[in-house]
Amino acid sequence: MIVDFNTAAIVAIACWATGMLLGLLAIRTPALKLPGMVLSLAGSVVMAAFIAFYWALLDRPPLRTLGETRLWYAALIPLVGFLVEYRWKIGWLKYYCMALAGFFLGINMLHPEVFDKTLMPALQSPWFIPHVVVYLVGYVLLAASSVTALHNVYLQLRSKGNVSGESVSHYLALLGFVLLSFGLIFGALWAKEAWGHYWTWDPKETWAFLSWLAYLGYLHAYRYKIDQSKLQWYLALAFVVLLVCWFGVNYLPSAQNSVHTYTQS
Amino acid sequence: MVVVRRRWFQAPWEFRESSLFTAVALCLGFVIEYATSGSGIALPRLPVNAIALSVFAVLILSIGLGFRNTPAVKWFGGIPLGLCLIVGIAVLSLLGGILPQEAVPSGSLPARLGIHKIFSGWPFALVVLLFLANLGLSLSGKLIPFKVQNIQFILFHAGFWIALSCGIFGSSDLQRLVVPIEEGKAGNLGYTMESDTPQPLPFSVFLHDFSLEEYPPQLLLYDPHSDKLLMDKSKATLEVRKGTTASWNGIEVLVLDYMPSALPGEGGIPQPADRSTGIPFAKVKITTGATQREAWISTGSPSLRPDAAQLGNLYLIMVPGTPKSFRSAVTVQDTEGNAVMANLEVNKPVNFKDWKLYQMGYDEKAGRWSKLSLIEVIRDPWLPAVYLGFFMIMAGNILFFWTGIKRKEVAA
Repeated sequence: MIVDFNTAAIVAIACWATGMLLGLLAIRTPALKLPGMVLSLAGSVVMAAFIAFYWALLDRPPLRTLGETRLWYAALIPLVGFLVEYRWKIGWLKYYCMALAGFFLGINMLHPEVFDKTLMPALQSPWFIPHVVVYLVGYVLLAASSVTALHNVYLQLRSKGNVSGESVSHYLALLGFVLLSFGLIFGALWAKEAWGHYWTWDPKETWAFLSWLAYLGYLHAYRYKIDQSKLQWYLALAFVVLLVCWFGVNYLPSAQNSVHTYTQS
Repeated sequence: MVVVRRRWFQAPWEFRESSLFTAVALCLGFVIEYATSGSGIALPRLPVNAIALSVFAVLILSIGLGFRNTPAVKWFGGIPLGLCLIVGIAVLSLLGGILPQEAVPSGSLPARLGIHKIFSGWPFALVVLLFLANLGLSLSGKLIPFKVQNIQFILFHAGFWIALSCGIFGSSDLQRLVVPIEEGKAGNLGYTMESDTPQPLPFSVFLHDFSLEEYPPQLLLYDPHSDKLLMDKSKATLEVRKGTTASWNGIEVLVLDYMPSALPGEGGIPQPADRSTGIPFAKVKITTGATQREAWISTGSPSLRPDAAQLGNLYLIMVPGTPKSFRSAVTVQDTEGNAVMANLEVNKPVNFKDWKLYQMGYDEKAGRWSKLSLIEVIRDPWLPAVYLGFFMIMAGNILFFWTGIKRKEVAA
């Protein structure tokens, strides 16, 4: 193996960890801010480079197994944190994001991947990459939205007002919903070409529809001017549905005949 | 904030009344399902379903336009009821997403309640119908008078309305049939999943050739004692090619030579052969401690015994790779003399009149020697309408994204 996953993962985690540490120290010593940011970013760059090498090594996009999708999350989630900091000057989200990314890499290190180059014929489709990538980015945004909402709930419990945090969780959920919709429809269009029908209530489809409904519900509750601080609970918990959809479906009794069960990783 | 306790059914109706309404609809659905012994709904086919849907759409639109200021209509087309019905649909989807959607013994309680086919039962139909009414009423308010700023709302909601209603009302017109055909023969009979009686098709399919390409074979260690296949130390799937190495505890294997298509030759040395008859052979060097040996191993085929290398109690074997692609060369022909020659492949269906033909499967026991191809033929006259809905939703979403970002900038 030319590219060693463990090395890449350890380097990335080390980058994020020192980046986080420097970021926290920068509160007292502002000179440490820049190196902290560079190191945090470097962690994602290492993961992105690993994905690129791995892609070339496999001759197919590494998007087939659960473990492979975790690589993408690990690379992308911190980027959302950095973007939020850049756009809204909210610094704390990136720490959650980097910790989450490190957690995903940790799972992969404990469960070494089955390196498998084969791609079954049904997955050899121009829809494969857009469908999965749109979903990945959507999930990343919604994970960040959920983490933000959780932080907001924590602040509420300590009776601290946090209007800007609430608007961040809202916009992340909005963008995530848009991407979920695209993922769902791309999946339907692909299914028509590969399996003959755009919708068959396959368990994964049903759960994708459920998670879409969960955020559709949120957006309407928001539109109806339901108290934003109450909706933070909703947003924090809505991600659980996504988690079931992402990998919980494999363990449900309904999944025996699903076309979507990932290759065990 | 002053908390005002609302009484039940105090105007304007809100969430409480809406949730009660949804719960009643759900219960009613299950009662009807139970009373009809879980037979579900048999939807009418074209043109009756199209007429029914049009009448429903016109009715909802006229009610929405004519009585938009009536409290009852306002409530029926409002967000609280919409949200509760979304929850209702979500609850049913949750059931359908957790419980296996397959046949259960008839007469049992789950069968009578139809929870093994939740998406074609009465509760789902009722809630979806009410949801379409709610969505339709809210749409009518935004459609007329038309305003440009409502275009995102209209695209998303009307798109969802069209996709959902046409997908469900049109499901009775969906025809999916499997046509099994052997090489050199024609088939014009299709089988459904539900019945063994074939249905005649308005065309026939002649299979010229079925071909299947495999990924390279893989090296594995077989333990006959426990009937287990052991993967090598790297846990990687090892594709056999010249230079491939593998290692298990104390066993090192190096592939010295690889022939993707060969037949056994004299003196145990395989000779290259045509792909139609040949099988993969590999010459491997096996190192166990200080001893070294070389052997030829092969995957075998329905007519050739596989060659394995024995290592004590274990066997080094080569298993055929998984299918990479498979295709059927066919001619599709109807009685009016229209004919199309095509290659059917997974993910590359072919259109013939208003049917779509799919490469579905083959005789998996025979693998790449299969002479049988399973072709699925599908007709769905409602597809263009559903796709129109999909594209409207996507267009609406792009606008939503754009205005969402814009509003964000205003807020910042």
